[in-house]
Amino acid sequence: MKAHPKHLGRLAALALLLATAAAHGAPPAGRLLASQCAQCHGTNGQAVAGMEKLAGESESEIYGELIKMKANIKPDEIMHRQAAGYSDAQIRLMARYFATGGRTTATSSTGSSTTPSTRPTRRKSHDD
Amino acid sequence: MFSHNRRKLLQTSGALLAAGAMSSPLRAQTAAPRVVVIGGGFAGATLAKYVRLWNPKIQVTLIEPNPSHVSCILSNLVMTGALGMTDITIRYDTLRTKYGVSIVADRAVAIDPVNRRVSTLNGSQIAYDKLVLAPGIDFDAIPGLDSSVLPHAWQAGPQTLALKAQLQAVPAGGTFVMSIPQAPYRCPPGPYERACLIADSLLRNRRAGKVIVLDANPDVVAEAHTFHTAFSTTYAGVIEYRPGTEVLSVDWASKKITTNWDTIQADAANIIPRQKAGKLVVAAGLLGSAPGARWAPVNPLSYESTLVPNVHVIGDSQGTGQPKSGHMANAQAKVCADALVRYFAGEAPDPAPMTNSACYSPITSKTASWLTVVFGYDAASGLMKPVPNTLAEAPAPTRGHYEDMFGWAKNLFADSFS
Repeated sequence: MKAHPKHLGRLAALALLLATAAAHGAPPAGRLLASQCAQCHGTNGQAVAGMEKLAGESESEIYGELIKMKANIKPDEIMHRQAAGYSDAQIRLMARYFATGGRTTATSSTGSSTTPSTRPTRRKSHDD
Repeated sequence: MFSHNRRKLLQTSGALLAAGAMSSPLRAQTAAPRVVVIGGGFAGATLAKYVRLWNPKIQVTLIEPNPSHVSCILSNLVMTGALGMTDITIRYDTLRTKYGVSIVADRAVAIDPVNRRVSTLNGSQIAYDKLVLAPGIDFDAIPGLDSSVLPHAWQAGPQTLALKAQLQAVPAGGTFVMSIPQAPYRCPPGPYERACLIADSLLRNRRAGKVIVLDANPDVVAEAHTFHTAFSTTYAGVIEYRPGTEVLSVDWASKKITTNWDTIQADAANIIPRQKAGKLVVAAGLLGSAPGARWAPVNPLSYESTLVPNVHVIGDSQGTGQPKSGHMANAQAKVCADALVRYFAGEAPDPAPMTNSACYSPITSKTASWLTVVFGYDAASGLMKPVPNTLAEAPAPTRGHYEDMFGWAKNLFADSFS
């Protein structure tokens, strides 16, 4: 089979698009950052015991708390030191991720965004 | 109509792929990508779980000979009797039933990075597209030391119980000697925590003589304020801290421990040898040829070896300079999992990953301290660096921190294994 050269570029672009779409490829924004909270606050913010559950909290609640913590670090609060590790923009991404259960727009270096196809089913599992 | 066109397009793109027009990550999309993980500690288990959680189309195989993991975290409380072995033993079943991780109960013995295959002790050959090594630590030999007789207990399990037996064997007024290896080693505050709990246990049982702490480092490696305070006040007259002191040999038939300073007569002991990357990491040539290399150099964006492509190293064996602990291993595993998911989608790793460390150390039978730090990727140096103002220890050990310790451990266990 010989493809005409002028179609090759378009085909390659289409193949790339398909492969990307098929792969659960582009992670939602903030997912990796937010996953770093899970050691203490549970996978996807669903704490199992003894720590604050982040899943289901609103974006403004989580964002507001963390911004306040890093603005006024109290020596006896381990979370204040954790909050100090992140920029306001990173805190925004994490807060949005927990508030929406990961239904944030996909990250992409090209700035494009996609809507995850699992949206309706995932919504059911959250009480927002 | 759509499916017909789609099939046609797939055939065409398949031909393009076969012609090498596409990069190798996309080639892997034609079949289910295969990730193989060696070692089911905090690093390996978290990696296996999160790759499946984030993209269930990727096949994940965990090679691990044991049916469960025994956690070093909280294991000093098994030594004192506050907890039992079941409290720190975590089965791998959930990784299989909930996340669909294939578990091969076998020991990986060799890696063929050219043909991308792992050989196991039972003679299996397991193929991979991406291999993740998480074998934990290995120990230097100390002349005369047999760790099956005199435990290091720096890997939990039978060693933990052997240490508990050492502690119980101390006669009233006797001498317990413990040694701390040159850093970096697994769990920076761990040995100091252990010294405190040994002293606490002996005091509570009215058997306290001396706990001699031989530290190969020039000073306390982690939580210096907390442990200096504990050694000089809470355990004054019991703990004798000797920095800059390295164990050179052991003669346990006569219970003598020889250091760079002198020879000490002990009643019981816990000698923790100097540590290095797991055997498989060394055997696969992942340390490179630099003299004295102990840990595998990796790219902190993906934890891929800088020496062998498609082999990633996470947890205690990797050499980014981040502290070696279960919490950090979990953090690195997620960065690696995210990079693998992106890789199979033809994407570059996240350019600015963050990790963090948080841990609680019991200081007495009722109080604990904590230690925390956040790391961010520094693009200029290519290193993970502590974010300013995030490295801190608790001002003082408290009962509240002791309670929080169990919340932290339960969530960390669950996030890593279930």
